[in-house]
Amino acid sequence: MNIEKMVKEELEMDMTPMIDCVFLLMIFFVLVIDLSQKNLEDLILPRAEFQEPDDEPPENRPILNVLQNGTVVYQSVVKYDPLVDQGYGKIRQLLMDIREVGLANGTLELMDKDIGGKMTQVMKDPILIRADKWTEWHYVGEIMKQCSQPQIAFWKVQLALSEEDKETGIKNASLTRGQ
Amino acid sequence: MSAIDDAQEEAKADMTPMIDVVFLMIIFFICIEFKVLESKLNAFLPTDKGSQSTVVEPEEQLSIKIHVESKGTPDFGKKAPNSVNPGTGRPNRFRLRGHKVRWEVGPTPIYTLEALREELGRIANADASQIPDKKTGKMKLMGCVIEAYPGTYYEDVAKTNDAANDAGFEEVNFGGGLGPGKK
Repeated sequence: MNIEKMVKEELEMDMTPMIDCVFLLMIFFVLVIDLSQKNLEDLILPRAEFQEPDDEPPENRPILNVLQNGTVVYQSVVKYDPLVDQGYGKIRQLLMDIREVGLANGTLELMDKDIGGKMTQVMKDPILIRADKWTEWHYVGEIMKQCSQPQIAFWKVQLALSEEDKETGIKNASLTRGQ
Repeated sequence: MSAIDDAQEEAKADMTPMIDVVFLMIIFFICIEFKVLESKLNAFLPTDKGSQSTVVEPEEQLSIKIHVESKGTPDFGKKAPNSVNPGTGRPNRFRLRGHKVRWEVGPTPIYTLEALREELGRIANADASQIPDKKTGKMKLMGCVIEAYPGTYYEDVAKTNDAANDAGFEEVNFGGGLGPGKK
């Protein structure tokens, strides 16, 4: 064996550890990826002065995003565009679809509630509305109105706020307390 | 073994520690919390104004009206108005500058959020604000209804709700049907 041949042999790289690492990384990313983040649009929410953080939000809670121009986005898909869609039929249909699919999958549940002395079936789970701080209120109000329709009956509506106003950088009092 | 062999063996780089460190760094950056926690405001839909077929007896509520004093001007920064962000496919957002609102709690006009908090706190602590609970018969603080007039924004209503919660109002309703108003 001459020296030239030995040098060539030692330059060969063992790919096995690298492939092992790549596989491990792939498995890791697949397991830890937070699929719920795809429901959240990049919005600037109003700052909550006193509300406590939602440490354990309900996993199955449907999340509607409302952009500044009133566009409603659900699971990264535009479901209602006020510039294109006439009336609020698409919002109503979206809420009915969310209810139907949720009840069929078992992710949402119904409950009986006494409304004016009459037992009525309403949604047990809440729905979260995330709107940009500079979204005109009537867009949010209309979604809430549609939620109250008997065939939809999402009676627990939650409005999303942030601990920090990302526009001004001002933080919630609970974050600045003790500083 | 020759001197050449020794030199070649020492030149080998052991990649294992580097891979370990890189892996640990990746795990660290993934696990730390980058996003700001969001909190929530519970909202109760107006049971006496909705489209349910059942009749609900009206309950005494404190009315908080939000009127627009100054509509404000959208500031798109360097972006063109109503342009779309090619990265997200969503419209570029604007900041609203000079937007001001006025609250009316009963007949009292209020111009700052701090004053609103004080007024709501005063009302919440007054004996006259206690009403009997229809289910339990015990006295409880009356609910309040936020009526946002055309031209108000989510920010205005959310801050009002926040102030009401801070004052002790647990049941906050939202009046609706006022629509977008005239453009």
